[in-house]
Amino acid sequence: MKVKVVANILEANDRLAAENQKIFDELGVFVINLMSGPGAGKTSVLESTIKEVNGKIKIGVIEGDIAGDDDARRIEILNTPVVQINTGGACHLDANMIRVVMDDLPLKDIDLLFIENVGNLVCPAEFNVGEDIKVMLLSIAEGHDKPLKYPLMFQTSSALILNKIDLLPYTNADINKIKKDALSLNPKLKIFEVSCKTGEGISEWVNWLYSMVNNKP
Amino acid sequence: MHEVGIAQSILDIAVNTCKNNGYKKVDSVKVRIGKAAGLLPDSLIFAFETMRIGTEAENATLIIEEVPVSGICNSCKEKFSVDDPYIIQCPNCGNISLRIDTGRELNVSEVEVS
Repeated sequence: MKVKVVANILEANDRLAAENQKIFDELGVFVINLMSGPGAGKTSVLESTIKEVNGKIKIGVIEGDIAGDDDARRIEILNTPVVQINTGGACHLDANMIRVVMDDLPLKDIDLLFIENVGNLVCPAEFNVGEDIKVMLLSIAEGHDKPLKYPLMFQTSSALILNKIDLLPYTNADINKIKKDALSLNPKLKIFEVSCKTGEGISEWVNWLYSMVNNKP
Repeated sequence: MHEVGIAQSILDIAVNTCKNNGYKKVDSVKVRIGKAAGLLPDSLIFAFETMRIGTEAENATLIIEEVPVSGICNSCKEKFSVDDPYIIQCPNCGNISLRIDTGRELNVSEVEVS
């Protein structure tokens, strides 16, 4: 006998993500899901951001890694509330993992929450965790072929941070090709060119963050 | 990606449907997988056939209905339906403003039980 079903296979994660988002909305927290391949500079961008913001808005961080707490310790030194998730093997964060640690942060006192995802250019793009927007990083050292090779991440992000622009003279990466291909995948993508090492471009990125936080209904 | 986790979720839905309706075994499970859902049908079948062992769906067939990426161009208003998961241009006029209606499905649509 055939039983008709309409069951969304990812329903559990999507439902949890919506519940997480409701909690964040009620507490007035703007949430960014920060993604990139390993070593592109997510934690460095957070460090540069926190220093540039300098308390003007209150930042909190959820760190996601397979193992270790290096990233959380770097954020902690900057007097910023942070919790570390260890996935133990899972290649991306999901809504349930965020739900479990949310209460460990003083959300009422946070304006902007960064969820630093596991370093991975594939899977994080497929899972919502309750964020307002996804932002991705690509470093110059990764080369200019990445947008066309990993289209989904570029398509689901609201902004792309091109990091390590100080390395441009030392690599063959064509930054114009990166921008052209990324925009062809996602014409609305906002692109920031930064160097966490030299500080170049950080204030433009931070000004955009202020506008996103202020425009949260 | 994640065909194993998806296969587990499909199995859970199928077995629960079987039990909730008072039946003993799952004979087949029909799923709708969008072309832009990021799954490889062969990998999904492989994962499903591994994970069904020892469950009420031990001998169940997984039937995959692939759903194309379809929608309408916001510029020329022509409808399109393609197998390309990353379509960004209207096949008719080349405009990039598209309304995508189908293609990212990941649903169980029917469970055959006995």
